[in-house]
Amino acid sequence: MIGQLLGHYRVVAKIGEGGMGVVYRGHDEVLHRDVALKVVKKDAQLDLVGGKTLLHEARASSSLSHPNICAIYEVGETNGELYIAMELVEGNTLKVLIGETGLPAESVLRYGVQIASALGRAHDKGIVHRDLKSANIVVSADGLIKVLDFGIAKRIDSEVSEGTTLMIDSQPEPSSVSGTLTYMAPEVLRGEGADYHSDLWALGVVLYEAASGQLPFAGRTTFEVTSAIMREMPKALGPPVPAGLWAIIQRCLVKEPKQRYRRAGEVQAALEAVQSAVIVSRDPAVDRNAPSTTVLHGVQHVQVKKGDFLLLVGTTKGAFLLQSNAQRQRWKVGGPYFHGQGVYAMAYDGRLGQHRIWASTQSIWGTLLRSSDDFGKSWTNPQEAAIRFPSDSGVSLKNIWQISLGRTEEPSVLYCGVEPAALFESRDSGETWSLIRGLFDHPHRHRWMPGNGGLALHTILLDPRESRRMYVAISAGGVYRTEDGGDNWTAQNRGIRVTFMPNKYPEFGQCVHKIVMHPDRPERLFLQNHWGLYRSDDYGENWSDVANGVPSDFGFAMVMHPRKPDSVFIVPVESDEFRCTCDGRLRVYRTRNGGANWEALVRGLPQKGAHETVLRDAMTADSFDPAGIYFGTRSGKLFCSHDEGRSWQKILEGLPPVACVRSALVEDTSGPGLRPTSPGVSPSTTSSRASRRVTTNPRQTRR
Amino acid sequence: MSLTVYIPGPLREFSEGQSQVEIADSPATLADALAALWIIFPALRDRMATEQGEIREHINIFIGDEDARFTGGLASPVTPDAEISIVPSITGGSDLRN
Repeated sequence: MIGQLLGHYRVVAKIGEGGMGVVYRGHDEVLHRDVALKVVKKDAQLDLVGGKTLLHEARASSSLSHPNICAIYEVGETNGELYIAMELVEGNTLKVLIGETGLPAESVLRYGVQIASALGRAHDKGIVHRDLKSANIVVSADGLIKVLDFGIAKRIDSEVSEGTTLMIDSQPEPSSVSGTLTYMAPEVLRGEGADYHSDLWALGVVLYEAASGQLPFAGRTTFEVTSAIMREMPKALGPPVPAGLWAIIQRCLVKEPKQRYRRAGEVQAALEAVQSAVIVSRDPAVDRNAPSTTVLHGVQHVQVKKGDFLLLVGTTKGAFLLQSNAQRQRWKVGGPYFHGQGVYAMAYDGRLGQHRIWASTQSIWGTLLRSSDDFGKSWTNPQEAAIRFPSDSGVSLKNIWQISLGRTEEPSVLYCGVEPAALFESRDSGETWSLIRGLFDHPHRHRWMPGNGGLALHTILLDPRESRRMYVAISAGGVYRTEDGGDNWTAQNRGIRVTFMPNKYPEFGQCVHKIVMHPDRPERLFLQNHWGLYRSDDYGENWSDVANGVPSDFGFAMVMHPRKPDSVFIVPVESDEFRCTCDGRLRVYRTRNGGANWEALVRGLPQKGAHETVLRDAMTADSFDPAGIYFGTRSGKLFCSHDEGRSWQKILEGLPPVACVRSALVEDTSGPGLRPTSPGVSPSTTSSRASRRVTTNPRQTRR
Repeated sequence: MSLTVYIPGPLREFSEGQSQVEIADSPATLADALAALWIIFPALRDRMATEQGEIREHINIFIGDEDARFTGGLASPVTPDAEISIVPSITGGSDLRN
């Protein structure tokens, strides 16, 4: 046969052989492309129900054009040889990839969506597969699914269909029971014939197999397998299989055909819904076909290792992780996480070996606090919002503006500043949160006024020496301080001017944009006001103007140098009317003497036509020496300086508007955590919370 | 006879992927129907309503073709065979805040 012509196909090499036929690699002499040639054995043809039926169905299948369906080019007969010319797909069968342990959930979802899409196209054309199984689904090297043998597999033979591709590491069926039987729907076993419903059943079997490495209905004999299919429920799949995926599989495997999904498109939509939510991944190494960086529903992931440096970037349309090393010259971008949702606060918690990234997400579906322990590959998506106002408060959470870690001696403590202005505290590493009533019940609260961004508590500072002293900044309420851990709060705004009020120096009501403190000098605070730059040297009791030499004292962002208590960075903007950098020049200003004067840092920053805005949390520092400074703009650009602001580089552009930037140095991805990277924030400890990885677990009951 | 609640795509990860949920115990009002839905799929509650029990600002609930805002809100009566749709508002424009 090798070297012969079948029609216009030259037979090149034998690929495989089954009971019913031989599969060759062929070459199309007309179109000059390689093909798979399935040549049905003459004696097998005699056993067929009818060669005409085979030809008819194969020709019908050849009308299917879909990226996930292996194309049938031609069905022909030459010198009594019945052959089918097909697309040559190189890769592994899904069966091989699944192995004994199954695939990570993200791969199951990624492949499942493609298989369902292929089934949907075929069903729309009136074609039923009849023998869908993991052995006739091929995954190409770039992760593309190809479903083989639509409409013909059952007619010919499964062994032949497996040979239509050039397969690597192909392996024999492990079970003595026919592979086809284990995918067969109850109604098919009852002799009612195969239709769309039975294809969806088979899809459920494939998904179950891919998620677990096990068949849902197995047995040592044909009788046992048949009995299991007809009567038994498959063993439940728990974490790390997402509850949503398990629910989809269950609905595919309902015994009564009409209670399954109505169309393959519904399965595809359901898989995509789970896919676009939290993806809980098992060991990625299990997926031998996956590229080193996993692409999932448009989300890019970064592989983080010890010594890596991260930037956490929250934008109005999602979050990103930027990964680099200590040189911080080359960056890989992970994300976008939380498509389309506002991420106004992020934080890194590396305490006691955890590597937890926190993010707040805001959308029309509410505001949630989310976290990832695997650098963004999966995120919690709690059933209930953990941060919520009590029912007697009469108010509802609008946004989370700040996530802060507790002190060193408070290893499980976290704080969140929210809108409407309030402070929440967690003492169990973020599992549960409570409203700090001392501040919420403050008599001033009803007279605080929302600023342009809403009534937000956006800044939280902890005095590292006095464990009961804490500051918060509220826009527009001003600075408040507690000396007793939150029970009582006093306004600390003496000397801070309010331009928009008749009384220019009220007790409270200031629109404070940011305050910073250096842990080595906690009595000194710097403040960027809605008009005004200030410093206090007495724990916020009195403030004095330090706007010496800045083009405008209006601005949002303010960052403390990680080691030098007199050194602070700001980005002035022109006015509250025109909240862009002055004169179209993007300039960071730095003081090195506590505000006695400020110097412009411009090298590498655009100085013409740069009408930029840096929002209040969109600038941060790292812990290197010399310190790195980073900021993002409302126009979606990200800049960094490795030399404390003397020179700048643009890391990235084209992001959605940047709302927050935080940095983290990953000390060890397996042992103790990282050193603190933000002044005023102390490292502490978190407990294990593996149990929180399950994101949804709706009740199975119906009423 | 059962009442049907249609679940929009973004919420189906919390409804086991289902696009519609049948509720058979004849709720009298929209609030009763949603309470029944939230017992079946608890995670839907916080996505649809604030902690004060109000439907979120940019989510519209339709009973048949009527926006429930104009039929009595959560107190709107529902028939045993009502079709309830959860419809996210078309939103956009300024969302950048500081």
